[in-house]
Amino acid sequence: MLAPTTAPVRGGGHPPSRPVRRRRSPLAAIRRHGAAWLFLAPALILFLLFKFIPMVRAITMSFQKVQPYLGNQNVGLTNYRDLFDSSEFLTAVWHTVLLAVVQTGGSMFVGLVLALLLEGTAKHLWFIRTAVFLPTVTAMAVVATLWKILYFPGADGPLNALLHDVGLGPSQFIASPHTALVSVFGVGIWRSAPYDMMIFLAGLAGIDRTLYEAAEIDGATTWQRLWRVTFPGLRPVFGIVLTLAAIRGLRVFTEIFLLTNGGPNGSTDVVMTLIYRTGLDQNNLGLAAAGAMVLLIATVVLTLIAQFARRRGRDGAP
Amino acid sequence: MAVAATFVIAASGLVACGGSDSKKSDAKAELRIWVRKPPGGNTEKTDDALAAKFTAQTGIPSKVTALFDDFDTKLQQAATQKKLPDIVINDTDKLGTYQQQGIVVPVDKSSFTGASDISDVSWNAATGADGKTYGVPFSLQTYALLIRKDWRTKVGLPEPKTWVDLDALAKAFTTQDPDGDKKADTYGYVIPASTKKGYASWYFSSWLWADGGDFLTGAPGAYASAINQPNAVAAANEWKKQFCTDKTVVPGSINAQTTDAHPLFESGKGGIYLTGPYNMARFDKNLGKAKYEVVQLPAGPSGSGPAALGEGENIYLMAGSANPSGQIKFAEYATTVEAQILGMAGNTDGNVVRSPANTKVDTESVRNDPRWTSFSQWLTKDARYIPRVPDWTPFRQDSANTLNAIASDCSLDVKAQLDKLNDDFNSLLAKQGAKAK
Repeated sequence: MLAPTTAPVRGGGHPPSRPVRRRRSPLAAIRRHGAAWLFLAPALILFLLFKFIPMVRAITMSFQKVQPYLGNQNVGLTNYRDLFDSSEFLTAVWHTVLLAVVQTGGSMFVGLVLALLLEGTAKHLWFIRTAVFLPTVTAMAVVATLWKILYFPGADGPLNALLHDVGLGPSQFIASPHTALVSVFGVGIWRSAPYDMMIFLAGLAGIDRTLYEAAEIDGATTWQRLWRVTFPGLRPVFGIVLTLAAIRGLRVFTEIFLLTNGGPNGSTDVVMTLIYRTGLDQNNLGLAAAGAMVLLIATVVLTLIAQFARRRGRDGAP
Repeated sequence: MAVAATFVIAASGLVACGGSDSKKSDAKAELRIWVRKPPGGNTEKTDDALAAKFTAQTGIPSKVTALFDDFDTKLQQAATQKKLPDIVINDTDKLGTYQQQGIVVPVDKSSFTGASDISDVSWNAATGADGKTYGVPFSLQTYALLIRKDWRTKVGLPEPKTWVDLDALAKAFTTQDPDGDKKADTYGYVIPASTKKGYASWYFSSWLWADGGDFLTGAPGAYASAINQPNAVAAANEWKKQFCTDKTVVPGSINAQTTDAHPLFESGKGGIYLTGPYNMARFDKNLGKAKYEVVQLPAGPSGSGPAALGEGENIYLMAGSANPSGQIKFAEYATTVEAQILGMAGNTDGNVVRSPANTKVDTESVRNDPRWTSFSQWLTKDARYIPRVPDWTPFRQDSANTLNAIASDCSLDVKAQLDKLNDDFNSLLAKQGAKAK
């Protein structure tokens, strides 16, 4: 930014930096960036009101016993201590991590397979892609209600009837603590795989066609082409999908809240459902805020790791 | 992104900015009344009519807001923003929570017009652990079994008089195809066994008391847990038996709240449902009055007599109101004979007063339905109320978690689970300062 202003000074006999800095008064800065700030203002004000002020409030609340009409009491680290002492919270953390890993892996795999199958410009592919993408754009509440019906645990439930036809079941699905989490994974992957597919499709479109042709001339098999051309070409896309999916996995809430609300016997409880229940069902807002803080820190750390890994991967690349 | 991810909850109003609650008192300020009723339903219309009558008589403007799903979530959000409604009509068991949070103001019973028309039992259900009154009784109810009469006739079994009869009936409903469609798609019990709002515990309490068990023993301020005593264990074993051994409960009940459970009964999935009289109008319409009967929950094998949960709704006067005198006037009006009859709404599904809190109301003349009369009799004779601890919510939640665990994981040992719950109860009692020395 300094470059244009410093350039003419360089030829003179004076030490260049001092007079230049003096000329950059705050007023000039405002004049120069005023328009930019003006355009940013609506977004910033909204962010301030709905993100940053609540965030600061949540941080203070996590150190308090919250009782709006009796006055909040500072309780120091009690909320955090209670949080890490409770087996419920630790189980919820474990479920959240498991869910993030399985759901991310599962939907990336299915998304990639779908993308490879449905890549191309033919008209019918366009139609199939749209159909496959539908789960992602359907409202979560609708999806959850639908799956609740599909998962009806009686022998006469739709999925159980299918299982029966192939000589399996009946499964309890979301009604048993042994199968509930897996059933929830299923819904999550079904819903988010098409989303990953779209990003992969965009990535696939960006791969240079001549590389495939060259590989084919060199006699590469389909698998070799996939491994040597497609996957390396998709590397940056993997990074994006992984980061997005992992964060989505950590903050998973709606599907669990609507499908099982953490049950049965806490087998699908995740951090977000626990925070909601603690804060709004049991009115312990301080403890819930502490839980939210832990989740925030986890998300920030995860994002930083992902970014670091991506940057290193980019630097390391030839 | 990270910030956005985590603060979904924070931004949703959990942590809005605090306002000032030092409003000036204004005897003509509008009363905002929140009722826990489905918006747009007939119950909301009755509440609207009640409030309109009140406004016509007193000149105090009023506005009814009906909220049902997550009523308390929304109330908590309002509390956090210090913008509470003036009046809340909600379950009696909310009293402890509201009082602990300081969001209700006490009612002076001695200066309350018509206080003597309300029974002592009802006033007790509006009394906090500190002995002060924190609400005005508005509506009362107890619970009883609704049984598919057509199914029972089909399988040829008598009206159940014991738990053995009941279980036999439930088994017959599950195995003998009572709806005659040649498919094994009917079951015995409909149970809201979700942990949400502690429904499992709320439902189970009637069975616990009917089998001579109890959550706590002692008196207010000096309780001890009784949840691992033999009678309570017996009741919990019956609960487990229905889910695990007999498998007579509609599949999926484990995640069901009451709103999920009602359709299971009226659509012919399950044939035995312990629920309140307020569902009769709905089931009359959707299922047919002749197809089911109302039977009192019989005493369990270890119980000395029938018992069921008694509860109701209180009128809560919320803190920070601009019109405290108007709040009292509304509560006084809503408990008059005139208002109570209006709230009972005859035999329709618009009833907001189930059984009247005002003892001067002649129920039979308002509702010419013997089933309602039975409910009223069971209410006075056999209803049991939740223990008067400072805050019952965590007790209900913990016991619901345990019951949900027992029902969903059949390998668990009932006594061991209840022993654990017993410890939880005792530490909760100590925490709330309500434990016997």
